[in-house]
Amino acid sequence: MNTRRQAERNVRKPAPTPAPPAASANAEPRRSRLSLRARLAAWRDQHLFGFFSSLGRLAARPWATALTVLMLGFALALPLMFWLAFDNARQLSGGLREAREVTVFLKPALDSAAATDFAADLRKRDDVAAVSVRTPEQGLSEFRQLSGFGEALDILKDNPLPNVLVVTPRSVPDGDNPPLVAELKIDARADLVQYDATWRRRLSDILGFGERAVAVIAALLALATLLVIGNTVRMDIQARAEEIAVMQLIGASDGFVRRPFLYSGLWYGLLGGVLALAIVIGAEWAIAGPLDRLLASYDHRLALSGLGVVSALIVIGASSLLGWAGAFVATARHMAAGHPT
Amino acid sequence: MITFDKVSKRYASGQDALAELSFEIGAGEVVFVTGHSGAGKSTLLKLIGLVERPTRGQIVVNHAQLANVRRRGIPQLRRHIGMVFQDHRLLTDRTVFDNVALPLIIAGTAREEIGKRVRAALDKVGLLAKEKASPVALSAGEQQRVGIARAIVGKPPVIIADEPTGNLDPQLSAEIMNLFAEFGAVGTTVLIASHDLHLIKRIGKRALVLDHGRLVDDYRPAPP
Repeated sequence: MNTRRQAERNVRKPAPTPAPPAASANAEPRRSRLSLRARLAAWRDQHLFGFFSSLGRLAARPWATALTVLMLGFALALPLMFWLAFDNARQLSGGLREAREVTVFLKPALDSAAATDFAADLRKRDDVAAVSVRTPEQGLSEFRQLSGFGEALDILKDNPLPNVLVVTPRSVPDGDNPPLVAELKIDARADLVQYDATWRRRLSDILGFGERAVAVIAALLALATLLVIGNTVRMDIQARAEEIAVMQLIGASDGFVRRPFLYSGLWYGLLGGVLALAIVIGAEWAIAGPLDRLLASYDHRLALSGLGVVSALIVIGASSLLGWAGAFVATARHMAAGHPT
Repeated sequence: MITFDKVSKRYASGQDALAELSFEIGAGEVVFVTGHSGAGKSTLLKLIGLVERPTRGQIVVNHAQLANVRRRGIPQLRRHIGMVFQDHRLLTDRTVFDNVALPLIIAGTAREEIGKRVRAALDKVGLLAKEKASPVALSAGEQQRVGIARAIVGKPPVIIADEPTGNLDPQLSAEIMNLFAEFGAVGTTVLIASHDLHLIKRIGKRALVLDHGRLVDDYRPAPP
């Protein structure tokens, strides 16, 4: 490090002082012209020093470290599991969210020819993209397939189902019902007009609420993580106050003193993140059996997604960052106290 | 090398530790600061290392106006000042070698050079054989010599020592003081706070005598 130049940079331009230019023989810096390579090596050495000394400190108190890491692991695992559950709910609802057809049940008196005429009328409209006709026969066979009441339906002598038009409107703005729906409702040929927008919006709201709830819980637990690490590092600092004071007296910069503690915070965060992942994967494994049976009853039409590699890496990265930040806050307070005003 | 110009220090408690103190110490001088306890010896040394700031007055150390040294500049300033403490303040969870190497690690000295310079410093205080020992295993005199090795390993132009022999018997004290006197001979400025007047007389160096924060005597022995 270029000590002399740095010393001068840190000193505001002095007023003319009794500093004689000739008397610099003793003050001559001994390490004045270090190459960039040497400085990089020194920087690397200092970081290695912080890296290993912090790891040594954690290893020296395995129980205290394990407790802290456990606490962090659970604090991080909770929002992670909420998020997973929510993410799956969102995926499952994805198809439903897109539904925008208007289903028009026609009066039972109307026969198939009248239904086709009605469909042709509707197709002429500008705000209609497509219309399909479902005859009572189609409706019955569909119902037979989906409901599982096949045998019960055989008892019926007549087909009680009406003709149904499935109208797909052109670009539906989110929000109000399109005028098409209102017009269909007052049409004499229509018995019942079912538009999914209302409950689609409700589903959307529920998902939005879930998303916000997960975010709030995650933020609160992230704050808890920050506090746990900050407090652990603070106690660590108190235990080593004498060492810090000595280091400061013999010229350690704030950065040098702080570095091992920042690394400790990073370690806590990293280990906590890994533990949280282990907890989540363990929980996934534990519920896999019953969940599989449940999904099997839906003919495996639903597929659940677990935690991907990218998400796992993000979790570990974020928890490490949280640990570093917690340690930073704790050390910043102590550093400020160690200097004259 | 060290200049005090009308320096006063009043602590927040209202206690006046130093009043209108002015003196100048040249390069390579070995100077004692003496006086009864509470006379301001420790405060004087603390002002030099910027552990405390003066209430009034100017201090120049190693050509730096201390009033102009901002918080970020303090570590750099201290790297040019070797500090020795009464209770040596060694880190007991590290070896003697690691303790002495600390200032060099802090300053970012190359690793190959650290070993050489630590051994040179330990050799100078006569403890080369104890580099792997823990400070706890050493005698009081040896511990203080390790503290001195730590202070000189960075070859600072200024060394300040606060009661370095306060816990030592007279013979060990004399050894330590002679060690300091030797550093002066190689051009290092040494400032030692001590209340041991007997010892100071024997060493025969300049002494600043403080009384209630005022300089009452600047004793200079007649050149031999």
